[in-house]
Amino acid sequence: MSEQAIELRGVTKRFGQHVAVQQLDLSVPRGSIYGFIGPNGSGKTTTLRMILRIFRPDEGQVVVLGRPQGSVADDRLGYLPEERGLYKRMKVRDLLTYYARLKGFYRCRREIDDWLERLDAVGWADKKIDALSKGMAQKVQFIAAVIARPELVILDEPFSGLDPVNMEALRDAVLDLRRGGATVVFSTHDMTMAERMCDTIFMIFRGHKVLDGSLDTIQAQYPADRVRVQLSDPLAELPPLEGVADVQRHGRCFEFRMTNPERGQQLLQQMAAARPLTYFEVVKPSLHDIFVRIARPENGTGSDSARETRLN
Amino acid sequence: MQKIWTIAKREYRAMVGTKAFLLSVIMMPVLMLGSLLAMSIFQNVSDVKERRIVVFDGTGEILPHLQTAAVVRNEAVRRAVTSDESTNQADAGGMPSMSRGELFLFEDAGLDEISDADRLRFSQAVRDESIYAFVEFPRAVLDFPLPDDVKVRFYSQDSSFAEARSWLTWLVNDYVRNRRLQSMGINPQDVQQASAPIPVAGMGLVERSASGEILAPREKDRMADIVLPLIAMMLMFMVIFMAAQPMLESVLEEKSLRIAEVLLGSASPFQLMAGKLLGTVGGSLTVFLIYLAGGIFVLQRRGMLDQFPLEMAPWFVAYQVVGVLFFAAIFMAVGASVSQLKEAQSLLLPVWMLMMLPMFVWIMIVQDPKGTLAMVFSYFPPSAATTMVLRLATGVNIPVWERILALVVLALATLAVIAIAARIFRVGILWQGKTPRVSEILRWGFRG
Repeated sequence: MSEQAIELRGVTKRFGQHVAVQQLDLSVPRGSIYGFIGPNGSGKTTTLRMILRIFRPDEGQVVVLGRPQGSVADDRLGYLPEERGLYKRMKVRDLLTYYARLKGFYRCRREIDDWLERLDAVGWADKKIDALSKGMAQKVQFIAAVIARPELVILDEPFSGLDPVNMEALRDAVLDLRRGGATVVFSTHDMTMAERMCDTIFMIFRGHKVLDGSLDTIQAQYPADRVRVQLSDPLAELPPLEGVADVQRHGRCFEFRMTNPERGQQLLQQMAAARPLTYFEVVKPSLHDIFVRIARPENGTGSDSARETRLN
Repeated sequence: MQKIWTIAKREYRAMVGTKAFLLSVIMMPVLMLGSLLAMSIFQNVSDVKERRIVVFDGTGEILPHLQTAAVVRNEAVRRAVTSDESTNQADAGGMPSMSRGELFLFEDAGLDEISDADRLRFSQAVRDESIYAFVEFPRAVLDFPLPDDVKVRFYSQDSSFAEARSWLTWLVNDYVRNRRLQSMGINPQDVQQASAPIPVAGMGLVERSASGEILAPREKDRMADIVLPLIAMMLMFMVIFMAAQPMLESVLEEKSLRIAEVLLGSASPFQLMAGKLLGTVGGSLTVFLIYLAGGIFVLQRRGMLDQFPLEMAPWFVAYQVVGVLFFAAIFMAVGASVSQLKEAQSLLLPVWMLMMLPMFVWIMIVQDPKGTLAMVFSYFPPSAATTMVLRLATGVNIPVWERILALVVLALATLAVIAIAARIFRVGILWQGKTPRVSEILRWGFRG
C-alpha cells in the first residue's frame, strides 16, 4: 500500500486553447486533511475532477489510492460535487440507499440512520430532495459522499450555504472521518475553515501551484509585516509615518502593512511618540492575507490575464 | 452486473413510479379513442336543425314531390332523434344516410323565370341565414333523353358537403328515373326488383380451433380490419414514446444537476448506460402489459376475446424491446449532448419524423401489407417496429423469415446506435457550457 493517497506528477489539462492546470505536482498523504484554496476559475475543480477520473489529464500522471489512471470507477472514493448532484424527485432515504448501493454497500440502513441522526436530519428521511433547503440538501449530499465508508473523500465546497451550527457539525464529521482513517481533500473559499481544519493547504492560481504545505510553513514564507494598533483617542487618525502602507480601519483598530518589517521596533516607538497607544501587535499573515496577496488582480502577468481571472 | 441492476431498478422506479406516468398511461388511449368516440357521439346527439330551402321549379312537378318526400323524411329524423335509434343505415333504394338531424322545408320561389338578379337576391338571403339554400330545377331536367349540359343547381354556404344536396340528388334521380321508365311503359317496381344487388362478402380464412374441429367460416369485419392494425401501430408508438421521453429527461437531469459526476465515480459509463436502458425497457414492458391486460379485459367483457390476435403478442414484445432500445439510445445520446429540453426537442425533430413515418402512410400499408412500401419501411430501422406490428395486425400471413429478418436488421442497427450513443454519452454527460453543434456530437459518436 502506497504512502500517498493521491499523487499527481506533471499534470496538465487543457480545454481548447485554455490551460486549466499546468505542470501540477501534488502528493496527499493517507490519513490527512488537505485543503484546496484558490480564486474561482483557477483550476481547483478541474484538479479534483482529474483525481476522480472524470477528466483525463492531457499530460502527466494521476495515481489515486495506489492505482494509476484508468477509467474504472472506484468504490473507495466518495465525492461531493460543487452544488447539486442529487435527484430532485427522490426521497432522502431512497437516494442515500441508492448511492450506497452503487458503491457496493448494500446493508446500509443502519449507517444511513446514524448519519441522519448525527446531522440532525432524521425528520427529513421521507422528504423529497426538492423540498429541502439549501443547507439541508448540502448535508444530504455530504452523507451521500461518505455513506459507503470511502477511504478517500473528495469534497468540493462542502461548507457553502451552511449556517455556523451546521458548519461546525460538518467540520466535526470530517474530523471524525479522518480519525476513522480516511483521507479528506476539500476545496473551500472559507480561509478560517481551511486554517482550522487542514493539515496541509494547497493553493492553485491560474493553473499553477502557488502554495503547498502546513499552515506554519506557509506563514513562514511570508514576512510578519502586518501590524494591528489601537489608539487611546478613539477619534484620532494614524500618524503619517514612513514605512506604513495599506492602512485599513476596523472600528477603533487600524491594520497596516510595514514596508520594512525589520524596522518594527522603531515604528512602535515613533508611533507611540506621536499618539498614545493602547495596543500594538505584529501579527503573522493570515491565510486570508496570503490568499489576497497572491490573487490580487495586479499580480497578473498583464492586465489582460488579470481580467480573465476575474471573469473566470 | 450488480451495479447495472441497481441503476436499472432506480431508472425503472423513476419512470413508472410517477404520477405523470400513470396519467399518460390513462390519457394516451383516452385521447386516441376519445376523438373517434366524440365524433360518433356528436353525430348522434346533434340537435335538430330546420333548413329552409327555396326552390325555383321550372318543371312545375318536382317541388310538390320534394315537399311530400320531405315530410316523410322529417318525420323519420324526428323519430330517430327522440328514440335515439340509429338512422345511419342506408335504404335498399340507396337513400343517403340522415346522420345530422336536419329537417328540410322546401318553399316555392314564386318565379316563372330566374334571372341573375334573383340568384344574387337568394344568395344574399343564404348569407344572411334567413334561408339555408336555394335550388334551381330547369325545365329541361325532365327532357328525355337528357340534353348534355342540363343540371340542377344547389346554392348554399356548404354546398359541397351539404346533406341536403346528397339527399336531393338521390330523390330527384329516383323521381326522374321512374318517370322515364313509365314513359317507356315499364313498371319501375320491376326494374327495382330486377336490379337488386347481390352482396359479395369478404370472408376470414377458415381455421382449425384448438380442440381440432374446423371453425365455421366467418365474415370479416371491415372496421376491425382497419382498426386493429391502427391500434397495434399506435400502441407501439405510445410504448416507444413513453419509454424514450423519460429517458431524455432523466439524462438531462443527471447532466444539468451534476448527478452524472457522482454516478460516474461509482459506475462506469457503460454500466450507467446499460442500467438506464435496462430500466427503460422494463418500464416499456410494463406499459405494454397494462394495455394488453386492459385490452383483454375489455374484449372479454364484450365477448370478443376470440377476435384478439394473442399470437401476435410475442412478436409485438420482440419488436418493442428492440425498438425501445433503438430510440432510447438515441434519446440518451441527445440528452447527454444538450443542456436544455428545448435544444433536445429541436435535435429530436428529425428522429420523430422518421419514427412517425409509418403513421403518414399506414392506410397504404394496411391495404397492401406485402407491397414495396411495407417492405421498405420494415427494413428501415426507425420505422421497422411500428411497420411490422401494423403489417402483422392485418392478419395477412407475413412469412416467419421476413419477421425475423426485419427483427435482425433492427437489432443490428440498434447495436450500432447503442455503440455510437455510448461514445456520445460518455463525452456529453460531463460536457458543460456551450451546446455542441450536431457535427461535433456526431464526431464524438464516431471517433469516440
